[in-house]
Amino acid sequence: METFSFILIQTLNALSQASLLFFLGSGLALIFGIMRVVNFSHGALYMLGAYIGFTTARLTGSVWLAMLIAPLIVGLIGLLFEIGFLRHLYKRDEDAFLLVTFGLTLVIAEVTRLVWGAPPLQVPLPSGLDGVVFIFDEPMPLYRIFLIAAGGIASSIIWLFLERTRLGLLIRATSQNSQMVHALGTDINLIRSGVFALGCALAAVGGVLAAPSVTASLGMSSAVIDAFVIVIIGGMGSFLGAIFGSLIVACVQTFGNFFFPDFALVFLYALMLGVLIVRPGGLLGKEA
Amino acid sequence: MMRSKILGVLALVALILAPQYLPVYAMTLLTELVILALFAMSLDLMVGYTKLVSFGHAGAYGLGAYVCALLSLHTHIPLPFVVLLSALIVGVVAIGIAWSCTMATGVSFAMLTLAFGQLGYAVAIKWVSVTGGSDGLSGIPRRLGPFGWSQLTTKTGFYLFALACLFASYFFCRALIRAPFGQVLRGIRENEMKVLALGYNTRRYKIAVVSLAYLFAGMAGALYASFAGFANPEMLFWTVSGQVLIMVIVGGKGTLIGPMLGAVFFIMVEHKLSELTETWGLFMGIIFIGFVMFAPDGILGILNKKLLRRSGQQKASQTSDPSTAAGGHSA
Repeated sequence: METFSFILIQTLNALSQASLLFFLGSGLALIFGIMRVVNFSHGALYMLGAYIGFTTARLTGSVWLAMLIAPLIVGLIGLLFEIGFLRHLYKRDEDAFLLVTFGLTLVIAEVTRLVWGAPPLQVPLPSGLDGVVFIFDEPMPLYRIFLIAAGGIASSIIWLFLERTRLGLLIRATSQNSQMVHALGTDINLIRSGVFALGCALAAVGGVLAAPSVTASLGMSSAVIDAFVIVIIGGMGSFLGAIFGSLIVACVQTFGNFFFPDFALVFLYALMLGVLIVRPGGLLGKEA
Repeated sequence: MMRSKILGVLALVALILAPQYLPVYAMTLLTELVILALFAMSLDLMVGYTKLVSFGHAGAYGLGAYVCALLSLHTHIPLPFVVLLSALIVGVVAIGIAWSCTMATGVSFAMLTLAFGQLGYAVAIKWVSVTGGSDGLSGIPRRLGPFGWSQLTTKTGFYLFALACLFASYFFCRALIRAPFGQVLRGIRENEMKVLALGYNTRRYKIAVVSLAYLFAGMAGALYASFAGFANPEMLFWTVSGQVLIMVIVGGKGTLIGPMLGAVFFIMVEHKLSELTETWGLFMGIIFIGFVMFAPDGILGILNKKLLRRSGQQKASQTSDPSTAAGGHSA
């Protein structure tokens, strides 16, 4: 009974962590799938989401509203950046893209520091979710259960969108052969802008959701590494891979942190290296 | 070709004579500049010549600093040998890192280097008994040179020693990239599949160049630790990797000289802007984006274009020289 409840609690913790990682990783995977490039600013946008969430929550008093507004603003920033800068770089090699999004990371990090200051900011839990439930006499924050539900619902909706709608079909087609889609009369620039904005918005959702449990801090922009580990493990550009990758990474982080707190990071990188050696394209990736 | 050689000699003479004429404050800045120039140049071997973008170069820099700090604190090895030994140790450790990172290519490679860099940062913070945790190590002495030689440990002497390290490394790297080894690297940059098809084991070349780049970055880190008297985890943070990448791109990648100019530019902008405004990092980011978008060949690329336009006749002879044909490759 002891071990059973322990495993159950830790699994729930891992699932709530996986749900945060899913928002982070799936956006990166979608963007990579469409553009074949990595958005280095993903971690910075995740952080920006948390900070905008903080301000919205303070101004309106509602964290629920923050979960709506932060992704909208960050998505808009992503859209403008894609139209203003990234669009002109598709003909250059992938390094230019990586470097420009790195520059955006610097700008966002600096603007965030100027606007909100360096000390971490505490974001309150959304009203109605600040309670604790008991599972086998072990306390479990209600918020974590909410995170699991949110991750599950969001991943299902996005999956259905990609697999069952016409727009989703066009997105998948663009990721496979953008020139053919273009030749068949679809404006792929529009799809690229849209997907980039969607990916950025997803990162912001992750940021807002993470903020109450980790506080909004400048260090959040390093999350781009986590996001990338997820995408490497799951498979570059694969949406299902991103879900799978977030689950694996969350398990390694949760159980690793519990048993070997000092070595959890090493496990994660070892796992990534292992996947790269065995399947260079990632577990669910198509390219070898 | 002649012109760039004359300019180079003039710059070297000016740098050697600088301690005679510059005030102490300026000398401190200049020493830091020489060290950062070495750091930036080392990254150029990877980014500029082999198209291996690294977001974890601070790892090598910080490792060099910590190794140098530990050697200086716990042994009595003279300063020049400590710096060389630290660089060598970083170079050897880098073989393992390079072996892992070159498992992947392109963006994945960049992210793996970032992961290793962050791993180093985490180790520096967590392994308190050896690294001193987040405070780092301080009070690093400069041990007297071989045969009780004390000149190198003075302010001017240390500057000249750092300058010697920079120039020795520069000439080594220049010889390396002009040798067949360097041609293979450039081949990898332009078309790795083709080089592979010609029968070269490109992975081995990549491991070699990454190790060398890390070695020189480690030397820069070791110099910095001796210069500043401390080593802390901040030296390993990914923003440092970002800064050195900015120096390479803004200066002009694939030229060795360009990244040094980039380091000068970076330090000047940092000092000028940080006097005027606290937001200098923001402007740095914007300047960086501007260079990537509109001047991918950097400052040196712009200068070369101007030179070429002015001396239209010498065009042919200039572009045949690899050290001046900065922007040639991406055209």
